[in-house]
Amino acid sequence: MTAISDPSPAVTDFRRALVDALDTVGDATGRELWCALGRGGVLAAHTAGEDPRADRLRALLTELDARYPLGVVLSVCVQVATALPILLHGPASEHVAGVGAAALRGEAMLALAATDSAASGSDLMDLGTTAVLGEDTVVLDGGKRWITNAGTADHLLVLARHRPQRHFTSFLWVLVPADAPGLTVEPADGSMFAGSGVGHLSFDAVTLGRDHLVGAPGRGLATFSRHIATERLAGGLWAGAMCRRVLTDTRRALADKPLHGATAWDNDAVRQRFARCLVESRRIDALCADVCGGSGGLVDSMVLKASVADSLDRVLGECVQLIGADAFGAGGVARLRAEAAMFGVAGGATGAMLAGVADHADDLLGGPR
Amino acid sequence: MDTRFVTMLRPFLKYAGANEITLDSSLRDLGLDSMQAVELLFAIEDTYQVSLPDELLTDTTFATAGNLWAAIESSGVGAEAGAKLC
Ligand SMILES: Cc1cc2nc3c(=O)[nH]c(=O)nc-3n(C[C@H](O)[C@H](O)[C@H](O)COP(=O)(O)OP(=O)(O)OC[C@H]3O[C@@H](n4cnc5c(N)ncnc54)[C@H](O)[C@@H]3O)c2cc1C
Repeated sequence: MTAISDPSPAVTDFRRALVDALDTVGDATGRELWCALGRGGVLAAHTAGEDPRADRLRALLTELDARYPLGVVLSVCVQVATALPILLHGPASEHVAGVGAAALRGEAMLALAATDSAASGSDLMDLGTTAVLGEDTVVLDGGKRWITNAGTADHLLVLARHRPQRHFTSFLWVLVPADAPGLTVEPADGSMFAGSGVGHLSFDAVTLGRDHLVGAPGRGLATFSRHIATERLAGGLWAGAMCRRVLTDTRRALADKPLHGATAWDNDAVRQRFARCLVESRRIDALCADVCGGSGGLVDSMVLKASVADSLDRVLGECVQLIGADAFGAGGVARLRAEAAMFGVAGGATGAMLAGVADHADDLLGGPR
Repeated sequence: MDTRFVTMLRPFLKYAGANEITLDSSLRDLGLDSMQAVELLFAIEDTYQVSLPDELLTDTTFATAGNLWAAIESSGVGAEAGAKLC
């Protein structure tokens, strides 16, 4: 992962292509947006080279956050930060390579299904979805829950176990077409995350050719780990953009809000609470820069994930209080805060991150890297 | 096992201390958890520029230092990789 830097000409070009692509769609569903990004060459430009560059990822998420509701951004984020990198990682069958190319063109939408119906999301080692390998086939049974794009994807990357042992080598990825016999999809209930297509999957003897395997059997969790740091960085970059956007709006609202013969912004106590939010926002940016500049290791990404969730919740919670009742109106920050609580759950719950951080206490106390 | 392998292995084994790591050393008993096992796989593949064959990606391969070294050797890394320890 390369460091966040001043925009290079390549990033400036990337941003221009991005804005052009988004201008062609305006208000859009996740699919229309994905199509536009693919058609405009944005997805191909983003994944060009060894590793999606942090500054392109930041440009993408900042622009999407400014224009679309959280659920729609989530739909794109999961694909760009995790599903596509896994799909495009290493040698692939003709079928898998074809789906990867179609996804880059925006013609195929992806979901990434790791969280299992049979286990806590924080303990993938216990997941219950099985993949039985035959000479030419793979047969899936089990279920997945809370999967972004479950209801909208054309292909679902499914993490399953091909061996019973509780070991990281017991897992593989299967690319399941959305119309595969034996696959059923149920939308998640509740009114949150509109546009994310989030839902639950169940597999009843879903039988596919072995050319639907993504990567080698035994490498499923290792491949996931290779890319999880990028997913967590994407979460941090998105959270940073969200903080800046909401704080800018809040600053404006405070300057317009009458309070004791002046404005709320003139009140010292209010200014201090706002300043605290700026500090939290900068903490997110600093940790993202730290992860970009470092080795991109798993421990650093866990520190980032846990910290981002806390800082974002603090910023959005304080903005709700600072804005007052108007925060609860349509499109207000109260709703955003409720949805953004997912930053402490999706892709790694804060408790699990802290457990991993504690396990590496000695490494983290080992002084500056 | 070559010295480079043992040096690479030691930071992943939080209970190994300064004790000798032998072919029979149980990696789990010495503190290798699942997340570190993944990182160890990356370290091996980066250090030796090999890819462990699919059939050797098993819990047995990661059970002892000797099994893991044997897997690395079978991926094409010879004794010339470093001085033999045991
Ligand atoms: C909007 C949304 C979108 C999602 N999209 C996807 C997706 O696209 N693909 C996908 O695979 N999954 C997705 N998920 C699922 C998500 O990744 C899981 O919810 C997450 O991994 C947490 O798992 P869980 O919900 O089972 O909670 P659990 O992991 O069971 O956590 C429950 C509680 O236990 C705590 N806890 C867990 N482990 C420990 C520990 N070791 N020590 C201390 N406390 C601990 C947690 O902090 C939490 O408070 C999504 C979730 C949401 C909300």
